[in-house]
Amino acid sequence: MRYLLKNLVTLLLAVLLVAPLSAELESELREIEMPDGTDIEIRIFPADGDRLLLGFACDAGAGLHEEETAKALSEDGVEVWMPDMLTGYMLPKLKSSVESIATEDVIALLDMAVAESDKKIYLIASGPDTDLLLRGVALWEELHPDDDRLKGAILLFPRLNEGKPQPGMPPVYKESVGKTKLDLMLFEGGRTPNRWGIKHLSESLSAGGSTVHSKVIPSVRGYFFKREDANLPEETVTFQLAGLIKAGLFYLREPEQ
Amino acid sequence: MKTLLKTVVLLLLSATAIAGIGSLKPYTGDLTPTLELTDLDGKVHNLADYKDRVVMVQFWATYCAPCRTEMPSMNRLQAQLGEENFKILAVDMAETEAEVRAFVEEVKPEFTILMDESGASIGAWQVFAAPSSFIIDTQGKIRYTLFGGVEWDDPELVKQISELIPKK
Repeated sequence: MRYLLKNLVTLLLAVLLVAPLSAELESELREIEMPDGTDIEIRIFPADGDRLLLGFACDAGAGLHEEETAKALSEDGVEVWMPDMLTGYMLPKLKSSVESIATEDVIALLDMAVAESDKKIYLIASGPDTDLLLRGVALWEELHPDDDRLKGAILLFPRLNEGKPQPGMPPVYKESVGKTKLDLMLFEGGRTPNRWGIKHLSESLSAGGSTVHSKVIPSVRGYFFKREDANLPEETVTFQLAGLIKAGLFYLREPEQ
Repeated sequence: MKTLLKTVVLLLLSATAIAGIGSLKPYTGDLTPTLELTDLDGKVHNLADYKDRVVMVQFWATYCAPCRTEMPSMNRLQAQLGEENFKILAVDMAETEAEVRAFVEEVKPEFTILMDESGASIGAWQVFAAPSSFIIDTQGKIRYTLFGGVEWDDPELVKQISELIPKK
């Protein structure tokens, strides 16, 4: 009886502690039709601040740590939109899937964000998804040359090489590199050979007119927040991912008038 | 059972990856950069001092899984071609001595490991991925490169490298 009572009290305390928190962190699910008629779901983590962060080509926060990060950002005033571009097209969660997503779909999402929100719009993508982001932004800038609603993009461990890197030769990048003037913030892991290419990549990205910032995060490998075999430093940085993204947004802020 | 199955599949996949498709590519880039670094015993190695031999300069890191996997085959390649004909200089990509020593203790490479804690040689050799390997002939010219992990004692690779060793 005493044991049962103790369990009941623990359960009651847990419910009392968790319930208000859950109520605060409600996200909203929206649907948008892509140019080819496919419906894409977008999970929105609303916030009161003046910044909106739109992610590509995530799975509506179903991936490892994405939901926690989006919640932490929205609590901190950054509204997060996470479109599920993979499920909409029934694409597997593979690095190559992003190549099947049309650039026009990114345009549709950017148009929606611009039309429905008056916040400053920032974009974020990781790994090979950064190609989709850059493709989309370049075309959007072409279609809207005088629109300055897009304020910058965060590229987490960008993987933008075309083919395998050849030793002794400069890297060859995807066509999307160097085509946009949007300001960019690059994060790369300290424990990946890609860190040695960050300077060359930054220079190539800036060819389109972007101001490119870059930071190497010590002691973590690439894809650190997607790893199931994460070590202690990687778990620690993943836990702080929202803070890292906010630091990236700080670098991308508009200069004060 | 599920874990066992997953492990077997992963092992098969990694074996396929390493056994695979990597082959030496003829090099068409710039002249061979210089290389002068110290090994784990503090001894200075200068690439120019090995002109009488075919040299493999490889850039690697302890966190690079293919680097770890291919090292036993590099030991076998070194043994097969002989120290008098062939030298491996494996340059660690800017890690600490403690990290490299722990790796060496575990993997036991039987060739020269060079330290480049500043990473200066990585830029000079235009290395953007690991493992990145360069095969240099006895004239000091880079003849082939290879990106990624392979079984270095694969007969085709041994033949290509052996052909660079002058007949005595």
